[in-house]
Amino acid sequence: MINAFLVFNGSGQPRLTKFYTQLDTSIQQRLISEIFTLVSNRPPGSCNFLPLPPLLAASGTSSSSSSATEQNDVPSFVTYRNYATLFFIVISTSTESPLALIDLIQVYVEALDRLFENVCELDLIFNFETLHATLGEMIVGGVVIETGLDRIVAGVRAQGTVVKRPVNEGRGGSAMGAMAAGFQGMGGNFVWHGR
Amino acid sequence: MFEKSLYDLIRGLRNHKGNEKEYIQNCLRECRSEIRSQDMDLKATALLKLIYLEMVGHDMSWASFHVLEVMSSQKYHQKRVGYLGAVQSFRPDTDVLMMATNLLKKDLAASLPTLIALPIGALPHLVTPSLALSLLGDLLPRLSHSHAAIRKKTVVTLYRLALVYPETLRAAWPKIKERLMDKDEDPSVTAAIVNVVCELGWRRPTDFLPLAPRLFELLVDGGNNWMAIKLIKLFATLTPLEPRLVRKLLPPLTNLIKTTPAMSLLYECINGIIQGGILGDGEDFSAREEVASLCVSKLRGMVSGNSDPNLKYVALLAFNRIVTTHPFLVAQQEDVILECIDSEDITIRIKALDLVQGMVSSENLVSIVSRLMRQLKASSAALSQQQDGLDGQDLETDSSDEAGADARRRAKAPKEQPPLPDDYAVDVMGRILNMCSQNNYANMVDFDWYIDVLTQLIRIAPVSRAQKLDSDPSASVSGQAPDISERVGNEIRNVAVKVKAVRPPAVRAAELIISRINTDTVSSHPVVSGALKPLAWVVGEYVYQLLSADDTLRSMLNLVPRIELPEMLATVLQTIPKLFAHVAGDDQALWTSERKSTMTLLMARVIHTLEPLAQHPYLEVQERAVEFIELLKLTQEAAAGQAPSTDGLHQDPPLLLTQAIPSLFTGWELNSVAPGAQYNVPIPNGLDLDEPIHPNLGSLLGKADDLMLPIQEDDEFGAYYNQKPPVTSISSGPAIERLVDAPEEIASGSYQQPAEESYLDADIIARRKAERMERNRDDPFYILGSSRSEGTSTPIHNILQKENGPDLDIDAIPIMQLDLDKPNPGNNGQQQRSAPKTKTARQRIVIEADETLGSSGSGAATPRNYESENNSDNFAKSKAKKMKQQSLLHVDSSHLMDLSLDPENERPDDGFAHERQQREEAEMAQAMKEVQRLRLEMQRANERIQVAQGVPVEGIVVKKKKKKSPSASAAGKKKEKKVGEGEEGEATVPVKKKKKASAEKAEPVVEGSAGEPVVVTTKKKKKKVVKRVVKLDGDDDEIGGEVPTGGEIAGGGGGGGNSVE
Repeated sequence: MINAFLVFNGSGQPRLTKFYTQLDTSIQQRLISEIFTLVSNRPPGSCNFLPLPPLLAASGTSSSSSSATEQNDVPSFVTYRNYATLFFIVISTSTESPLALIDLIQVYVEALDRLFENVCELDLIFNFETLHATLGEMIVGGVVIETGLDRIVAGVRAQGTVVKRPVNEGRGGSAMGAMAAGFQGMGGNFVWHGR
Repeated sequence: MFEKSLYDLIRGLRNHKGNEKEYIQNCLRECRSEIRSQDMDLKATALLKLIYLEMVGHDMSWASFHVLEVMSSQKYHQKRVGYLGAVQSFRPDTDVLMMATNLLKKDLAASLPTLIALPIGALPHLVTPSLALSLLGDLLPRLSHSHAAIRKKTVVTLYRLALVYPETLRAAWPKIKERLMDKDEDPSVTAAIVNVVCELGWRRPTDFLPLAPRLFELLVDGGNNWMAIKLIKLFATLTPLEPRLVRKLLPPLTNLIKTTPAMSLLYECINGIIQGGILGDGEDFSAREEVASLCVSKLRGMVSGNSDPNLKYVALLAFNRIVTTHPFLVAQQEDVILECIDSEDITIRIKALDLVQGMVSSENLVSIVSRLMRQLKASSAALSQQQDGLDGQDLETDSSDEAGADARRRAKAPKEQPPLPDDYAVDVMGRILNMCSQNNYANMVDFDWYIDVLTQLIRIAPVSRAQKLDSDPSASVSGQAPDISERVGNEIRNVAVKVKAVRPPAVRAAELIISRINTDTVSSHPVVSGALKPLAWVVGEYVYQLLSADDTLRSMLNLVPRIELPEMLATVLQTIPKLFAHVAGDDQALWTSERKSTMTLLMARVIHTLEPLAQHPYLEVQERAVEFIELLKLTQEAAAGQAPSTDGLHQDPPLLLTQAIPSLFTGWELNSVAPGAQYNVPIPNGLDLDEPIHPNLGSLLGKADDLMLPIQEDDEFGAYYNQKPPVTSISSGPAIERLVDAPEEIASGSYQQPAEESYLDADIIARRKAERMERNRDDPFYILGSSRSEGTSTPIHNILQKENGPDLDIDAIPIMQLDLDKPNPGNNGQQQRSAPKTKTARQRIVIEADETLGSSGSGAATPRNYESENNSDNFAKSKAKKMKQQSLLHVDSSHLMDLSLDPENERPDDGFAHERQQREEAEMAQAMKEVQRLRLEMQRANERIQVAQGVPVEGIVVKKKKKKSPSASAAGKKKEKKVGEGEEGEATVPVKKKKKASAEKAEPVVEGSAGEPVVVTTKKKKKKVVKRVVKLDGDDDEIGGEVPTGGEIAGGGGGGGNSVE
């Protein structure tokens, strides 16, 4: 199952945190910052999987010999994807397919892109409720329930109109455009054809 | 009044860069007051802001009651905020949750699908066993909701309910199964069910075997890759239980592997084949062979060359799985896997390392470790460079300043490889140690090399996190796993203890490291290297091997005041007298005045160093310090009293110095003892540990105070402990073995030399060279340095030169033809270089196994226990493993295992909690009805009276009637019969009785008071009776809902109070 779904930007500021088990706020923050340090030190061209952060690893990353049943219950993958200024992170157990998770993040971003039409970080900042709603249409209680783009978007729209970021938010407009372009560029780039 | 919206808050945050903290504190204050307001809009907005701030790390657990208030709002968009707040902020200890039960029930029964979705989506985050128990009945009907979206969410929510409350499955599983079997079901619902089944599958695979045909059908013509992946994962857990599935699965899986364009599906097919044990050998061998080669070749393609890094990673994962069952298949890929160790991506490296750890042999150990050492060395060099650069700046990692820190990091990011994170470095070092020490050093060929590697490791070992964080000695790291430099130190100690042949170099390495610790670190800083503890033991125990015990003693004395960890201090304290005994205890030397003054000074110095520790808070340290101080003071007196020998008068040094103190530390040699061997020590016959030592111990001890025992030195007891056993020399084998070994040294040396230089520090290499030269000088078959001409330096030449001195005319001596048929001394080096290494070579080095007794118990003499990890390390590992089971984000599903889903196992009269719950509910409804009936009767009687008296009817009673939920009463009617028939669970019986009693109690009161003018007060009394019943039922919040005036806090202020009281 999926243990957590996180979104934060290039300076480690969280944009969405969703933990599928109840966790103290301070521990959540520690986990986020640990993952951020891992993710921000990735050399270009490395894979989309992170080693377990110290908080999750407990006994270091060297527990290759633990039995299969034990592994199924414990977070064992940290999958991430980087879009423009944002990092999308999924923490999951080994019952999830690592490559499919990469696709799942892609679906999520595409759904956001459809909802916001040319999504950028500012949209996510100001509409974090919609972020939660979109995620809620894809994952419930750590289990993936929907991967079809249309259904996800329809599900979110059924809950009410999705507003674009306030138009008068003028500051940093140029940067926004660039971010959006980044999203667009990535949006079409399918690495895995999981579906 | 001007309130901020979420938008204002965020914009404000963006506008207050720099002093965000202050801004956030202000906002939090505003939210605190806003959320208390009566205006629902204001409340919801404040909550939304709080949720936003929670995401950034500001606790909002204090607002949980307000979250409930917003959840109970009538407006959807407010309700949604409330539910989001609950999901994001409720923790296991949030106590207001039990008040939400009725709200959740109500929302689950709503008509709008978007409204139903709210509680369904939130429940997985909130659910507790009692909540699950009370909501199960409301959730189950949602499985057949007309909207597919609700159905699939309900399935998942039921799964999460089952995790905390397994009985859920018993009620829900038949319905979920029905959904799964239904071919007309919406495909996305089917996919969601498959996901849930996959999660449940590995926990209890036997229950899902009957589903195999349907699942197979879905796999073959499902057409949904997401679902196919999950199905394959599920089948991988089923095949071990039902081997016939293998034959069925192989064709479609092979087909998928060959045809699918989706990499993820391809990989999962291969993975499924591996995990399902389909690779395993059995009948139908050729087909399997084909599959195995197909899989392995695909995986090899993924790992090798410039393929996609993600594929590399997952292929390594797959190899990691294969390696346990089919090591030979993985061993064939050694070349590509070793390449991955040097990948610049740490994730890939770690996975490759996992693999490599299982692949080490005596042939490749050196080259693998060399690769890793090079990485570590390069990283530590980069790190020290970076630290030099950063020295001026302060490293603040404030979350609000993250952007700045990041910018700095980016600006700093050098072109060359960034330093490895400490955790990774520690991990790699741990692996190096594990690889080298595996199976009691089975793969180790060259222990000198190993000692050099260890020395280098100590130099580059990062400071452990724990010691960095809390540098105060009170918060010692006693309970934690030893830090990595301590582990390395332990290895040096293990080698010194176990491998007698290399004890001298090991001890010398320890000596060097200690002197380095002493000189290299700033003298005011505390000593942090955990290696000091085992190394101190080594130099103390093998003091006669030291180059200079004098210098080492001095280093140790310098280090003592800087040690903060009490355990380390205790060990070091023990070392000092050992060293002192060796330095001072020479009984051959004359007791000159010079020696006397040196000794006196030395003792004064030691006492001075130890003195402050006599008051150390750690008792072990204190005790040892006091003991040694007193002993030395005594010796000091003895030394002062002994006049130095003059020319004429021969004086012996004081016996205390030369005999007594050294005898404390010389005795049997210590061997390594297997963990748990202690438990195998048999208790001698006739020894009763519970029996008091002496019946009159108390008075004996009292007497002992004024009793002085004469000191006996040369009794049997002392002899037993102090006489050394005959030394069993291991290193001196037949000469022929040496012949084989020495050239081997050359061979390995010559091709490792360049690699070695890159990861060992220059001084280590220099020492290594010098030592080798030294060692081989006496070796007739070793050709010394290239400076000499090959032609003249035959081994014979060497021998002759040694025997006769260099000034002999060598050429005048005729060269003798030696006829040795085995190793030809002349070209031995070359021969060895080309020939494969002989395994016998390393048998010369005897590595002692851990000592143990008997063969039972945990100390059993199996190779497993020989893993030279010391006790504490293994212990720490197992502890860590235990911790891992409880790790963060872990979802506990252990209860689920105990549940049986098999319908045949169900006994009809076995009340399951859910049904029991329903029965209880029915019973409650029944009781309520009874009360209601009585009330009605009473009312009628009252009316009659009132009509008779002409008083208008009051409305209170009518209102009561409304509160009673119609569904409950209906259910009550239905279940009534069942209640009568079915055997009650034990718990329900007293409850029922109480209720009946209360109902009965109510009756006479009514009848008795009927017709009286005080009817109204009687009514009140009755109400109280009912309420008390509710309270007696304890924490069952379900019943709370049936309390008149309602437990819903939905009403806000007024009604809420009643249910909470």
